[in-house]
Amino acid sequence: MDLKTLCELNGASGDEGAVRRAILDAARPLCDSVRIDRMGNVIAFQKGRKGDRRLLFSAHMDEIGFIILDATEDGLLQFRPVGDIDSRQAVSKYVLVGEKRIPGVIGALAIHLQSDEQYGHVLDYDGLYIDIGAKNRDDALADCPKGSYAYFDSGYEEFGDGFAVSKALDSRTGCCTMLRMMEKQYDADVTYAFTAQKQVGMRGSSGAAFDAQADDAIVLDCAPAADIRGVDKALKACEAGMGIAVSFMDRASIANAGLYKELMDLAQALGIPHQARRDTAGLSDAASYQRTKGGMRTCVLSVPCRYMHGPSSVIKLSDVQAQYALADAFADARKPLHK
Amino acid sequence: MLQDTLQKLLGIYGPTGREGQVVSALRGMLEKNVDSMRVDTMGNLIVEKKGKPGGKTVLFSAHMDHIGLVVADVEETGYLRVTNVGGVSVDNMRARHVTFGNGVEGVVMCQPVRDETAGIRHLFVDIGAKDRAEALSMVSLGDVCVYAPDCIPLGKYRLASPAMDDRCACALLAELLLSKTETENTIVGVFSVQEEVGLRGAAAAAYQVDPDVGVGLDVTAWGDSPEVKLPSVRLGEGAAVKFMDNSMVATPSVRDALIAAAERAGVPYQREVLPFGGTDGGAIQHARAGIPAGTLSIPCRYVHSACEVIDMRDMESALAILREYVKEPILA
Amino acid sequence: MKAEAFLREVTAIPGVTGNERAAAEYIAEAFRPFSDEVTITPLNCVVARQKGDGPKVEICAHLDEIGMMVSKIEDDGCLRLECVGGVDPRVLPGMRVRVYTKEGVRLGIVGTAPIHLQRVAEKTKNYSWDTLFVDMGMPADSVRSLVRVGDTVCFEARYAALKNGRAATKTVDDRGCVAIMLEAAQRLRHMEHKADLYFVSTCQEEIGCYGALVSGFGLAPDYGVAFDVCHADTPGAPPNSTSKIDSLVASKGPFLNPFLVKKLEETAKDNGIALQVAVDPRYTGTDADELSITRSGVPMALLSLPIKYMHTNVETFDMHALTEGGRLLAHYLAQVDESWEDALWT
Repeated sequence: MDLKTLCELNGASGDEGAVRRAILDAARPLCDSVRIDRMGNVIAFQKGRKGDRRLLFSAHMDEIGFIILDATEDGLLQFRPVGDIDSRQAVSKYVLVGEKRIPGVIGALAIHLQSDEQYGHVLDYDGLYIDIGAKNRDDALADCPKGSYAYFDSGYEEFGDGFAVSKALDSRTGCCTMLRMMEKQYDADVTYAFTAQKQVGMRGSSGAAFDAQADDAIVLDCAPAADIRGVDKALKACEAGMGIAVSFMDRASIANAGLYKELMDLAQALGIPHQARRDTAGLSDAASYQRTKGGMRTCVLSVPCRYMHGPSSVIKLSDVQAQYALADAFADARKPLHK
Repeated sequence: MLQDTLQKLLGIYGPTGREGQVVSALRGMLEKNVDSMRVDTMGNLIVEKKGKPGGKTVLFSAHMDHIGLVVADVEETGYLRVTNVGGVSVDNMRARHVTFGNGVEGVVMCQPVRDETAGIRHLFVDIGAKDRAEALSMVSLGDVCVYAPDCIPLGKYRLASPAMDDRCACALLAELLLSKTETENTIVGVFSVQEEVGLRGAAAAAYQVDPDVGVGLDVTAWGDSPEVKLPSVRLGEGAAVKFMDNSMVATPSVRDALIAAAERAGVPYQREVLPFGGTDGGAIQHARAGIPAGTLSIPCRYVHSACEVIDMRDMESALAILREYVKEPILA
Repeated sequence: MKAEAFLREVTAIPGVTGNERAAAEYIAEAFRPFSDEVTITPLNCVVARQKGDGPKVEICAHLDEIGMMVSKIEDDGCLRLECVGGVDPRVLPGMRVRVYTKEGVRLGIVGTAPIHLQRVAEKTKNYSWDTLFVDMGMPADSVRSLVRVGDTVCFEARYAALKNGRAATKTVDDRGCVAIMLEAAQRLRHMEHKADLYFVSTCQEEIGCYGALVSGFGLAPDYGVAFDVCHADTPGAPPNSTSKIDSLVASKGPFLNPFLVKKLEETAKDNGIALQVAVDPRYTGTDADELSITRSGVPMALLSLPIKYMHTNVETFDMHALTEGGRLLAHYLAQVDESWEDALWT
């Protein structure tokens, strides 16, 4: 399944149904078993030719989105983000709301009407609303009841020098890589976990990790690329176009030192573009795999992603290719390996 | 004895996530005196002294890791940029001597900061490299440095060291495992990893061991230096039996068993109510279907600085308590 | 047992987080007549089972309460306190508290410096744990021989029946919801149900929902229904943060399974029971957060009883909402069967 199709599906944390169905359909013909677990993760398993290693690859299928809290008497929908979205990114965007994907726009008080004091403040979610053109509260809630999800209506486009822009690159890129890996069979037994609810606290992966039958878990995710204007030099964590970013540590997990070195050496030896992720901010599903039950060896391979958690996040396609190349080489146990 | 073991352990490199050298040292120390020994996937060292059938399994956990700085980037000029591993305070880190696992040494400094408070991102480490290439031939991204090892005697009974949290408890646990204990209970000693970033190692170890009762061994904050009002714990007045911290409320039947052991042993002890912090005891209590757990603490001044101070009399009191405690680890 | 009688008694029993044994024992006895088996786990969760052949369901509401612990005894015999769970120190001045000493329960008064003697700057500051203390009304030596660091301190327990079926007492959070479970358990004794039901009164919710986490691990349920309190309408509350006091609230959001919530709404409608909806975009701040991620995960629903003045000793609720909640829960649980499994992720 191509990245465009995956990115244009809507699936915020807790509302992953559309993505889940698409991945189930794509994975079934390629794997020995595919199931939905108790958390709503899709768990696909491919028996290896030798079964000498047990590997798990994991990417979250959920994205950030919005959820409807209520409507005002005027029929404007009040909402909050699901996952972390800077409210300043939400102003004046086109959205799709509810199961019927009703079109709407995110509105705020017009600049002309704002007092000087209001103008000096950030527009937060209390000051924003979604306008679907409803006449009143009942009209609004009839189509978009409380608890409905809303999504940025921003499709996938390729632009510039090999870049792509979309709303859900984080981490449909990882899902795309795993679906591509499934087309091969490895010597190792491989479990592919497409996890739910990462954006609200790595919840899906905790269940996946509890059931996992593997020794090593490689998490395929996106990491904020800081190769952009205005970022302090000391904070440039990774750069788009410079290859797959390998993490030695993030806020919720520490990569197994041996596994980290193995992956870096492998990329070096095979000429796969790679970079150490030079920051420890952020969270990933590795947290769950690292320490659930007795723990697993973990490492995160991230595609550098600009403007993450907004309507227009940007990646370089060559970095997705590098993510695939390194994950594939690791699963293949290609040289060099020193275990 | 206790102090020798402690001094050995204080000299070993072992930040959070890089505890291997401490594991090696403990292995060497304990090998001949225990029934089994293994290192799990996360790097916890799990040591067992078997009891008799019908006895209970008691898990003690002391963490090997301590806080440090991880190399996140290297500047063209050869300076290392770092972020924290665990609860590092910028004030405590400034102008400190640090070492890496491969023996490379450095000094931590802070760049000039205007209009804001200095943060970790303003720190840098000077390892004497003339440029980026030379620096990268000495250390790699992801390497972690810690306060250079040290151990300074203060007065007759006290010691200051950057690694006191929690090597003093590792020493205590090692001595407990080395000593003859008259009990039918199985003693499992866990030398845990990654405590400083959220009790991660102990949680995985408790899951694997699945004991009947668990006890965290750790340092606790002090209340007896100028203008510090809480907690009420003081150095030199005995080990502290924890009632509560941010990670747990101690299980009453375990807490009271620790108090009963102290009273049987006839050594001084204190009661500790800590409004912050956490220990491996919390991770053990919340593992699996819930495991009765408590914590025995060593009072320690200036925790997370390069001069954490303990009193050896509190260590002796703690060891005496533990020796008694293993006989009856949980009250009926 | 009628809900009011149960609540009057159970809210008076100390059960501060981590030291819940007395409350657990009382609740175990209350459930016993309506259960096939009742156990108290090592961390003081009360598990009351009504057997069935169908899916295993854990229903939970926490039995622990916020409270305080003696953290220090000053030279003059005043006690310093540390909170256990989220106690707002501003509600304490002048409150009578119960101190659980080694020789039994003693009355203490939360004291403050008299207002006449405070400087202007102090008068405009809130009281905090540093400035509050407990006066035991006895000489320092007597205090020392009676009270120890680590002793439990509770709010005083009073129950006031207000107009229109409303009532105020301490610890409606969350023993009001334990009362709802008890109400449902009584009804289910006379109803058919396929599900294997475990009514769990959980420990340690107030410091991190640990009781739900560990009881979920122990029981490994197929589904979960968590119960807690939420905020009822009060003047000045932020928008979308409160509900009407007169009926239960079902939550929607990423942590809760949409199918289980839909069934709840249907059950309410079919039985003529009022049910409000609230949205939790992320954490629910209840046992649901932890129970839902024990083991492989547990699909969950969350119901809440709206109360006013949460985390004080005058938590106010509507008795009709409470008893209707019991009826809703009973009908809901009576419907659970195997066919739900296929519908979970559609």
